[in-house]
Amino acid sequence: MSVWEKLRPYSMVAPAIIVFSLFFIYPIFYMMYLSLFDWNFVSPDKAYVGIQNFKDLLTDSDFRQVLSNTTIYTLLTVTLTTSLALLLALWLNRKGVFHGFVQGAIFSPHIISLVSISLLWSWLMDPEYGLLNWVIGLAGFGKLAWLSHPSTSLVSLVIVAVWKGLGYNALVFIAGLQSIPPDIYEAASLDRSKPWTTFRKLILPLLSPSIFFLVIINMIGSFQVFETIAIMTQGGPVNSTNTLVYYIYENGFRFFKIGYASAAGVILLFIIGVLTIIYFKLLSKRVHYR
Amino acid sequence: MAKIELKQISKKFKDETIIENLNLTIKDGSFTVLVGPSGCGKSTTLRMVAGLEKQSGGEIWIDDKCVNDTPPGLRDVAMVFQNYALYPNMTVRGNIEFGLKNMGIAKQERERLIMDICGIVGLVPHLNKKPQSLSGGQRQRVALARAMVKQPKVFILDEPLSNLDAKLRNQMRTELIQLHKRLGTTFVYVTHDQVEAMSMGDEIVVMNKGVIQQADTPMKLYHDPANQFTAEFIGTPAMNMMDMRDMQGLEIRSATVPGYAGFRPEQALIGAGADSEGYEIEGEILTRESLGAENIYQIQSRNGVFFVKTFLAPLETMRHVKVTVPYDRLYYFGLNGERLRGVEASSKRPAAVGGR
Amino acid sequence: MKTVDNTIGGSPIGTAAAGSRLSHARTRKATIRQAISVLLRVLNIAALLLLVLVFALPFIWMLSTSLKTLPETMIFPPRWIPDNPVWQNYADAWNTGPFLKYFRNSIIIAGGILILQMLTIIPAAYAFARYKFVGSGFLFGIVMVTLMIPSQLIFLPVYLELSAFKLLNTHLGLILPFASSAFGIFLLRQAFMQISDELIEAARLDQAKEWKIIVRIMVPLVKPVLVTFALFSFIAHWNDYFWPLVMTTNETARTLPLGIAKIREVEGVATWNILMAGNLILVTPILIVFFLSQRQIIKAFVYNGVK
Repeated sequence: MSVWEKLRPYSMVAPAIIVFSLFFIYPIFYMMYLSLFDWNFVSPDKAYVGIQNFKDLLTDSDFRQVLSNTTIYTLLTVTLTTSLALLLALWLNRKGVFHGFVQGAIFSPHIISLVSISLLWSWLMDPEYGLLNWVIGLAGFGKLAWLSHPSTSLVSLVIVAVWKGLGYNALVFIAGLQSIPPDIYEAASLDRSKPWTTFRKLILPLLSPSIFFLVIINMIGSFQVFETIAIMTQGGPVNSTNTLVYYIYENGFRFFKIGYASAAGVILLFIIGVLTIIYFKLLSKRVHYR
Repeated sequence: MAKIELKQISKKFKDETIIENLNLTIKDGSFTVLVGPSGCGKSTTLRMVAGLEKQSGGEIWIDDKCVNDTPPGLRDVAMVFQNYALYPNMTVRGNIEFGLKNMGIAKQERERLIMDICGIVGLVPHLNKKPQSLSGGQRQRVALARAMVKQPKVFILDEPLSNLDAKLRNQMRTELIQLHKRLGTTFVYVTHDQVEAMSMGDEIVVMNKGVIQQADTPMKLYHDPANQFTAEFIGTPAMNMMDMRDMQGLEIRSATVPGYAGFRPEQALIGAGADSEGYEIEGEILTRESLGAENIYQIQSRNGVFFVKTFLAPLETMRHVKVTVPYDRLYYFGLNGERLRGVEASSKRPAAVGGR
Repeated sequence: MKTVDNTIGGSPIGTAAAGSRLSHARTRKATIRQAISVLLRVLNIAALLLLVLVFALPFIWMLSTSLKTLPETMIFPPRWIPDNPVWQNYADAWNTGPFLKYFRNSIIIAGGILILQMLTIIPAAYAFARYKFVGSGFLFGIVMVTLMIPSQLIFLPVYLELSAFKLLNTHLGLILPFASSAFGIFLLRQAFMQISDELIEAARLDQAKEWKIIVRIMVPLVKPVLVTFALFSFIAHWNDYFWPLVMTTNETARTLPLGIAKIREVEGVATWNILMAGNLILVTPILIVFFLSQRQIIKAFVYNGVK
């Protein structure tokens, strides 16, 4: 084997590996390093403070609210999206032009910029002239404040997230349903299995890889929610929709508390890391279904 | 045209030795078939000749030239793969042309060669189709054409017919034999199917566990197997093999004591007259397979279960039969499976054999 | 039998045989069953249409608003069709900022990312799929870790990095961090691994050089995966708001989504009609592409999930 032949694979992976190391791997460590300092980005020297940033964060009532906001938002979004998507998938899992059209329609929000969706829903949720208040008015309810009141703001953001994610989730489920060989249903019906039993004992377990995938992906995605908050609420009113990434963004770019923001970033990294590890653990346990 | 010589070839995968000390000469212009059970090293041997696999030791010579360090493309070897390995993104023409282009052959010449080859294998109407739209047999032909068009010294075929249905396989078998006659190139053919080997090869190399058991003409292999493995591998049903200790009444004179005696199912006689001399076995017929021209019986005897094949004879209806194997049709093997020649046999008490 | 006949009503004349009455009842039952199934089908279609409406209505509302005058947007209950469509809103939206520049930036950035990604992921995926080399496990580990790290997480250190490289507010600064894609390598490696070895061996016997095998045989075979990934990547970066927002401090490299989001900040009062017009400018191209190649795009995004 010539020298060139030995070097070839390395030269082929090098560009990608350099990009990853420079913009993904190294920043992780840099962020951990920064989290131990007090730095305002402008001053030339950083002051080492150890784990003081973390201590401050965990005692900061704002940050606690941010954590609880993020958790509530994530739990609501994930449960609603996944379960509604599963119902939709069971309903829409049919071939044909019309069903194809419906699938396309519910999927369309997924490929649209979050900017558009945020602006559109800000308008839909306008407390005075919004379409949403008109629709619930038709159903006999009074006007809601939606984004402009702390009691409804977070839930309003959840509604937007569910609306955006539902189609994608349903289509992943449909793909999962279609990968189940049809003779399994036939065998079940020959075994006189009732529809509900078939669903619980066959479809649900066979679909579990898709369910786990979506739950984890949705969780990771929800924990990082930023765009809708930045555009629709800026974390308000009264901090009721402030979430982790937005908090990091504000502390870093508005208050220039780089070390403090990095420490919050490390906490988010920890949460997402745990979720990822859980995902892979579950994934390796479930492979035998396929 | 080329002679291929393998000298002291060995092949290891990590710690596992697949082939050790293999020596083989493939005659110029022959149709040589490597045959053996799967995992016997026949494909590996073939791939080493093609240069797709590097031997761990030994030398490969093609036409008095050592090709150990020659890359596969420059060995003047063409190969037909088991799954055809057609380039799915290219048309039939593109597939055949690809190698020629890489060899730097001018466009006009390429066109002429392609048309010639496609005339031979009957692909002219399909030149602009993609492989996906062809039938199995047509794909096989494209693979052949792609190999032939380069006019190689050696043709290597790795189980090329295993993906075809039975009828097409028979047809392609005949076509390949005719093609070999027409081209006169050395063909090296690998198969696990001994019927295919027998019907196609003029030289057959029987391999087992990385060792060549016997390399000979088909008839020699059949009538004069060198060892127990070859004897049992060639022929359907396989040669019946019996432990000498069970063969009561068989008197032998031999320098070494045989461990096993065997006979071919088609050489045993059922219910032969008293005039035919031979070793007699009595038994019960367990099953009868009637294939029209031939019948195959499975018979349970004191010496174990064995098969008898008869030709153009009425189906035996009796349950209890007497089977006679002429003495000169018995083969003897040593305890290690080696063939023992020059063993003479007779019966001590012909009438009493097996009659207990 | 009689009760059945009575309830159905149309009782046959006395002489009719029981058998014929039975069959009559059966046809009636079948008709009822058929009617129920038709009713269910109609209900199903109605429900489906309602579902479509939940997703389509906001867009229709967006279109309707974008053609209204500002006072018209403040009529409650809302009107769907404006009296006089105000096309001027689109021009107004376009003129709230340097939109031509935003548009150009979007093309340069999403296109630049796509081209660089293709150039880096194809060789890397091929090497990971097809060559054995010392350290390949470790290097692929880097790819897998990168696949797990969301860009949302590391924007702060990357911002500092880019600022140190003097790449803030440049196209390059927005392109380089995404010059390769772990997801793309992962997807493509899978595709390369599925190609049979025989094909490469056949090409070697055909005297093809290594690069020729890659370019002429392997890459054409993974073209569907490449197209899928290209769609995925382009749409994702075309739509991206977060990264350009964080990595720019002025207009030089800002993209379309930022420009649209900014319309809101420009005016004091909420000019929803202008905003929705701008939004429509942003959404329409993507929606058109989506409905033209719906199958491909859905596959591109959903395969992300089912692999």
